[in-house]
Amino acid sequence: MKAKHETITALAPGRWTHGAPPANVRLGNDTVITGDLAFKRFHSREPDALVIGAQCTMDGVHFDLGEKGRMTIGDFCYFTNAVLLCELEVRIGNYVVIGWNTTVADTDFHPLAPAERVADALACSPLGGGRPRPAIPKLPVLIEDDVWIGPNATVLKGVRIGGGAWIEAGSLVTRDVPPRARVLGNPAQIIGTMP
Amino acid sequence: MTADRKLEWDWYSGTVPENVVLDDTAYCETAFSFHFYRSRLPGGVEYGRGASTYLGTMFDVGPRGRVILGECALIHGARIICDAEILIGDYALISWNVVLMDTYRVPLDAPERRRELERIPAREPRLACADVPAKPVRIGRNVWIGFDACVLPGVTIGEGSVVGAKSVVRESVPPFTIVAGNPARVIRPLNAEERSRHA
Repeated sequence: MKAKHETITALAPGRWTHGAPPANVRLGNDTVITGDLAFKRFHSREPDALVIGAQCTMDGVHFDLGEKGRMTIGDFCYFTNAVLLCELEVRIGNYVVIGWNTTVADTDFHPLAPAERVADALACSPLGGGRPRPAIPKLPVLIEDDVWIGPNATVLKGVRIGGGAWIEAGSLVTRDVPPRARVLGNPAQIIGTMP
Repeated sequence: MTADRKLEWDWYSGTVPENVVLDDTAYCETAFSFHFYRSRLPGGVEYGRGASTYLGTMFDVGPRGRVILGECALIHGARIICDAEILIGDYALISWNVVLMDTYRVPLDAPERRRELERIPAREPRLACADVPAKPVRIGRNVWIGFDACVLPGVTIGEGSVVGAKSVVRESVPPFTIVAGNPARVIRPLNAEERSRHA
């Protein structure tokens, strides 16, 4: 099926209200990103690191991509002050809503083993002298079409949220969510099915 | 507040909307709290005597929404998403990053939600405002809500109750009860001694 935006013509090019986005960001027509912090922590060097479809509203969203982070977002998405943390891969479908102050992360940022964390703290410190950081768990996040995620929610690494799922406000999603499931809680549990 | 409804101490250049009731006993730290406010009702937000709202509090109130703050209610940075009615009782204490919502703003039905999302780009400002059923939220007198908590549509929190930090409340809470957790569960009722000190 043809993507909806391909059939829409005569729309203004996508834009960021605070200037030109980084060169490896592609915005579909009529997509608008607001907020001066949108790319404050955008460090990706990947080609087409961030690709957003058409007619999206990204209001106060933080696109915090690490050097190798890659993120795609579909058409007609509506995010409010979401914090998107991506060191590897985050894929978000069409018609996805993400509420205020919600965080999505595809990494733990630091290793689990205490000894490795010491090494990581040292590597990250001003005394690190460019030494490499230890391996850190990263797993892609996939959020399918028509997913609704409420305010104050958190989606952690490796999670796949099935199409049409509804993530209640404040939920902490640590495991896959089946399509059309309604989940709530910490950790998020299924509380029903969407119509 | 000056005659043109500017707050003398405000860093933000905006003004307090005409239909917000705010007298000299109450305090609004910044008119930025009304950045998403678009209620057309008289008294779309009503501050009670001595009520106060601080930085981070956002009145995301739709055209038919109404928020009432009781006497000496203290809101220290909550997101108030209101299309019907949110009542906050006298002496209520509400912490930072709390979400109080009486509506989901978009239809629960996916095809209908798609139609709403297709309409958003044509709006100025670009906001979801589908006519979905809203269920009023009532925060009782002397309720205390901890930081990062969420109160979902239709919930009533009874007088004197305490909601722990990061709780998500989807069922109403009886009076004089401590609830916490996500989903929120009753931890215990306040005991007679604690209640006897209730003013």
